[in-house]
Amino acid sequence: MKRNPLTLIIGLLLIIVFALLLFVFQVRQSQVAVVTTFGNPTRPITKPGAYLKWPWPIQKVWWFDQRVQNFEDRLTEGLTRDSFNLLTSVYVGWKVSDPAAFFPRFAGSADPIAAAEALLDQWLGTAKTAVVGRHPLGDFLTTTDNGANFIAIENEILASIQSQLRTNNFGLEIEFLGIKRLQLPESVSQSVFERMTSERKVLADRFQYEGEAEAQRIRSDAERRAAEVLANAQGQATQIKGQGEAEAAKSLKVFQQNPELASFIFRLSALEGSLKERSVLIFDQHTPPFDLFRGVSTNLLNK
Amino acid sequence: MERSIQKNGLINLLVLLAVGLGGLAVARYANSLAGQVNILFLGIGVLVAATSWFQMRLEERERLEKLELDELAKSHGSSALFEARDAEVFPAQRSREQFERFFVPGFTVLLFLLQAGGAWVLWRWLSRSTTLPDVKQPITGSALFGVFFLLLFLLGRFSATIARLEHHRLLRPGASYVLLNSFLSLLVALGMVGVWAGFPKMDFYVAHVLCGLLALVAVETLVQLVLEIYRPRVKGKVERPLYESRLVGLLGQPEGLITTAAQALDYQFGFKVSETWFYRFLEQALGWLLLLQVVALVLSTSVVFIEAGEEGVLEHFGKLVTSRSPLGPGAHLKWPWPIDHVYRYRTEQIQTFTVGWAPQASEAQQKFVLWGQSHRGETNFLVASHLQLSQGVTNEVTGKRTPPVNLLTVSVPVQFQITNLLDWAYNNEDAPSLLADLGTREVVRYLVGVDMNDIMAQGRQEAARVLTERIQAAADQHTLGARIVAVDMGDLHPPVKVAPDYEKVIAANQTKQARILAARADGIRTNALSGAQATNILNKASAERTAREIGALAQAALFTNQIPAYEAAPSVYPERAFLQTFTRATANARKYLLLTTNTYDVLTFDLQESIAQSLLNLNVPAPKTN
Repeated sequence: MKRNPLTLIIGLLLIIVFALLLFVFQVRQSQVAVVTTFGNPTRPITKPGAYLKWPWPIQKVWWFDQRVQNFEDRLTEGLTRDSFNLLTSVYVGWKVSDPAAFFPRFAGSADPIAAAEALLDQWLGTAKTAVVGRHPLGDFLTTTDNGANFIAIENEILASIQSQLRTNNFGLEIEFLGIKRLQLPESVSQSVFERMTSERKVLADRFQYEGEAEAQRIRSDAERRAAEVLANAQGQATQIKGQGEAEAAKSLKVFQQNPELASFIFRLSALEGSLKERSVLIFDQHTPPFDLFRGVSTNLLNK
Repeated sequence: MERSIQKNGLINLLVLLAVGLGGLAVARYANSLAGQVNILFLGIGVLVAATSWFQMRLEERERLEKLELDELAKSHGSSALFEARDAEVFPAQRSREQFERFFVPGFTVLLFLLQAGGAWVLWRWLSRSTTLPDVKQPITGSALFGVFFLLLFLLGRFSATIARLEHHRLLRPGASYVLLNSFLSLLVALGMVGVWAGFPKMDFYVAHVLCGLLALVAVETLVQLVLEIYRPRVKGKVERPLYESRLVGLLGQPEGLITTAAQALDYQFGFKVSETWFYRFLEQALGWLLLLQVVALVLSTSVVFIEAGEEGVLEHFGKLVTSRSPLGPGAHLKWPWPIDHVYRYRTEQIQTFTVGWAPQASEAQQKFVLWGQSHRGETNFLVASHLQLSQGVTNEVTGKRTPPVNLLTVSVPVQFQITNLLDWAYNNEDAPSLLADLGTREVVRYLVGVDMNDIMAQGRQEAARVLTERIQAAADQHTLGARIVAVDMGDLHPPVKVAPDYEKVIAANQTKQARILAARADGIRTNALSGAQATNILNKASAERTAREIGALAQAALFTNQIPAYEAAPSVYPERAFLQTFTRATANARKYLLLTTNTYDVLTFDLQESIAQSLLNLNVPAPKTN
C-alpha cells in the first residue's frame, strides 16, 4: 500500500504538537505552579520555564500568579467609638508566598485565587469592624495631624490581618493595605445633607442681612456727609447775607435825614410788598380813595 | 472477510464509545460548551455504529444459514424438509427482514427525535447561558480533543476506505460518524485554542455551530423518513440503510465534495477540466500548499513588530529574557510561538484613571458641568469640617446628631505614564487597578484632612500639587514603574441634594455685593447733589447780598431825591405817593367795598373758591335697567 508522505508528515506533526501539549507545560515569569499527581500535590514550581509532566488525568498543573494581587473588599458598616456608623472598604496587596501551602487549602474550589480572596474578605470584615470600633470618628477626619491617625488605623487593620495569617499558614502574605473608601450610611448621609443645607441657609441669611446693613450704613454715611455739606453751605450763606446786611446798613443814615418820610416810604413799601400775592381787601367808604363814594347813592342805600 | 468487517464495525463502535466517555470527561473537566455538545454527536455515532453492527451480524447469520441449507440440499437432495415455509426454514433471514422492516424505521425515528430534540434542548441551554463559563485548562483540553481527532480520523479513514472499496454498505454509516466526529473533535480543540489565545467566546460559538449542524442532520433524517414511505421497493435491490445520513457522509469525507465540484465543472465547460494540468497540480499540491501555509504562519510568529509608543517584554518558555527586555519600537526576531512570547504595553501613552465618578461618553461631550446635575456612578467623599469639629456635632437647626463631616462629590482624573515596564508588568498582577486604588486612597486621606470650603475654593491648586506628590510617592513605594503626570481637581462640588443651597449662598453673597454697590451709588448721588445744593445756597446768598447792598444804595439814592419833594409839598407828596402805591399794590387784589350806613349790621362773606360751572353742568347717564 502506497504511503502518502504528506499524510505522514501532517500526522507526525499533529502527533508531536498534541504530545507537546499534553506532556509539556510552561510557567511564566509572573507565575508559580503546583503539579498534582492523581490529585496529590507532588511538585511546587517557583521558577519560570518549560517543564515536563504526565498527561491529564495522571498529572495536573495549577498555575498561580505570584505577583502582588490587588483585592478590594466589600464596603462594610461599623460603629466608631463615639457611636457613628461608618462604611469602610480597603484594598489589600497580597501574594502567594508558598504555593505548596497555598494549594491544598484552596484547591477544592474552582478558582483558588477567588477562594483566597473570599477568605480575606471575611477576615478583613472582622478586622475593620474591630479597629473602627476602637477609634472615634474624629480620628478619621482630623485636619491637624496630616493624616497620621489615618495611617495608624490602616496599620492596625494590617497588623490584625497579618496576625491571623501568621497563625494559619495559608501560603499567602499581605504586602500592604490601604483604606479606599470611607462613607456614611444613606440615612446618616441624609442628616448630613440636612445639616449642610442648614449651614448654607445660615450663610445665605448672613450674606443677605450683612448686605442690607452695609447698604444702610453707606447710605447713612452719605446722608450725613450731605447734611454736613448743606449745613456748612447754609452757614456760609447766612454769613454772606449778614455781610450784605452790613453793607446795606451803611445807607440807613441817609434815611435819618427825614425819619418821618422814611417811615412813610417804608410803610408804603411794606404795603406794596404784602399785597403782591392774591389778597382780599374789604374797604369801607372812609378808606381813601374810596372815601370819594361818600355821599354817593348806592344800590344798597336804594334798597 | 465478513468477520473482518464485523470486527471493523465493532471497533468503530467501541472506539466511538471510548472517545465519547473520554470526551465527556474532558469536556466536563475543561468546562467546554462545544465539547459537551460534541458528546451528543458521539452518542448518536455510538447508536448508529451499534445498529449497523447488529445488522451486520444478522446478515452474516443469514449468509451462514443459506450456506448450511445449500450444503444440506446438495447432500440430501429435494425432501419435504425444504418444502416447508420460509419462516421455518430461514429463521435468520426472517429475523433480518423483521429487523429491517420494524426496528430500522423505529430506530431512525428515535434517531430523528434524538437529533431534533438534542438540537433544540442544547440551543436553549446555550441561549440561557448569560455568562460564559470559564474554560479551564484549555491547552490540555484541546490536546486531548486533538488526540481524539487523530484516533477517530485514522480509524474513520480506514473504515471508510474499506467500505468504499469492498462495497460494505453497513460499514459506511459508522465510518461516516467516526470521521465526522474526528473533525468535530478538531473543531472543539480549535475552539479551546481560541479561548486560550484570548477569544473567550470561541468555544461558545463552536457550540452554536455544532447545534446548527445537529439540526441540519435532523432535518435530513426527517426527509429520509418521509421519502422512505414513497420509495419504490424493488425486489433484490440492495437498499441503503435508512439511518445512514448523506450529510454526515459528505461532511466526514469532504473530498467527495471536490469530486462533485470537478464533475460539475466538467459538465459546465464541456471538456474535462478535471484533467487539465492545473487542476491536477492543484489536486496534488493542495495538501503541500496548505502545509506550507501553516509553516509560514508559524514562522511569521518569529517576527514581532513593536509599534511607536509601545514597548514589549520577551519571554522564552515563560522566562523573562532580561537581556532583550524591554523591546523598543521596531522589528524584532524571536523564536516562534509557543517558545517565545512578547507582551506589549503602551508606555508612551498618557493614561488616565478617575477617582470618584468618571463621566460617561455622553457626559464628556457636554459643554458644561453643573453642580445640580446628577451623574451616573456618583459617590460622596467625606470631607472634614473645621466648624463641626470645633463646635460639636449637634445640628442646631434640625436638632439631630450628625457626624462632624461634610460630603463632597468628586471626579479627579489622574494622568500617568509607564516609565519602567518591567516593574509595571511583573511586580503587580493588575498594576492599573493598584494605581487607581492608591490614587483613591490618597484622595480619601487628603479630603478627610481638609476643610470643605478650603478645598472648594483656594485650596484646589494646592490639593492637586499635594496629591500628585503623594500618589507618586505611593506608586514608587509599590515599585509600580509609573510617573504621575497630573492630578486634576477641577470637578469637586457639593452633592446634588445640597448643591442648590450652595448656589443660594453664592447668590446671597452676590445680592449682598449688589446691595452694597447700590448703596454706594446712592451715597455718591446724595453727596454729589448735596455739594450742588450747597453751591446753590451759597450762590443764592451771594446774590441776595448783592441785591441787598445794591437795593439799599438805590433806596438811599431815591430817598435823597424824595426829601426835596416832600419838603416842597409835605401833605400832597405823601398822599400822592400813597395813592400811587395803593393803585399799584391792589391792582390784582380782590376788593370788597362796603358802603353801609349802619355799621352795626353783621356782614358775612363767603370767600371760598367757587366751583367751575362746567363741573356743575355734567350730565350723568341714567342707570341701565334690564
